Amino acid sequence: MRIEKCYFCSTNVYPGHGSAFVRNDAKVFRFCTSKCHKNFKMKRNPRKVRWTKAFRKAAGKEMTIDSTIDFEKRRNVPIRYDRELVQTTVKAIKRIGEIKQRREHAFWKQRMAAAREKHRAHRIKKLAAKTAAIKLVEPIAVESAEPEKILEKIKVSAKGRSALIQGEGRSMGMDID
Amino acid sequence: MIGLKGTLNVIDNSGALLIECVNVLKQKVNNGWGSVGDEIVCVVKRARPVSAAAQASTTAVKVRRGDVRRAVIVRTKKAVRRPDGRFVRFDDNAAVLLNNKREMLGTRIGGVVSADLRMKGWGKIVSLAPKVV
Repeated sequence: MRIEKCYFCSTNVYPGHGSAFVRNDAKVFRFCTSKCHKNFKMKRNPRKVRWTKAFRKAAGKEMTIDSTIDFEKRRNVPIRYDRELVQTTVKAIKRIGEIKQRREHAFWKQRMAAAREKHRAHRIKKLAAKTAAIKLVEPIAVESAEPEKILEKIKVSAKGRSALIQGEGRSMGMDID
Repeated sequence: MIGLKGTLNVIDNSGALLIECVNVLKQKVNNGWGSVGDEIVCVVKRARPVSAAAQASTTAVKVRRGDVRRAVIVRTKKAVRRPDGRFVRFDDNAAVLLNNKREMLGTRIGGVVSADLRMKGWGKIVSLAPKVV
């Protein structure tokens, strides 16, 4: 049982998943999903499609030279089953995974630090270009000769507004004998 | 998916180059469509010209244009499901010519054949093929 790599996106293809295309010269192309298969049929180059591993490696977005990567490779040498060996291998896989993750994180951090600088410079440049293009015009100052009139509020007395005669003790009531 | 009028390349040295399917021999579940390992009846549409030396010898089989023969499908463009769930498809449809006793007409095979053939009982073809996928 072998875990293959997708030809297009380089993810793992587990048994029972994906499809394979066999060219007449017997080269086998394995695909993880129909998405990858379709992209292959469209004759797209995986190095030019941004979401593939091939692109990310080619564009320097992922580690390419590292000792942890070399562990995972195709070995066409059959090995006799050995319990001890399997045990150590499984242990090693876990440890290597940890180390790889840490290294990848460090790589990413380094990459982001460089990117941040670049991003900032770009933003400043863009802003400078923007401010140069726009000319702000000062509003014309108008000297007004006379001050504006302030209108007085009309005052209305609040008393006696109700048409109803107020009864004793209660308001707005009807007349009672 | 080989049916009536489907054309296939011939990848053995029988002399035929291109054949056209005229009938798919019935099996339990092929529903009229032939896949890898299925037997078909076909017409030879294009064949290599028979040389004078070959004509002189009586033992050699001569496949001519217009012959009706049996053949077995060895590759299909339509993806075929493997027992482990994977799908395998090939570049083209191809077949190998047979005689009436279900033996190969040719003696050699040039090209890839599907590994499904062995499962279907065509071990001879698989053993002759230069590459099995």
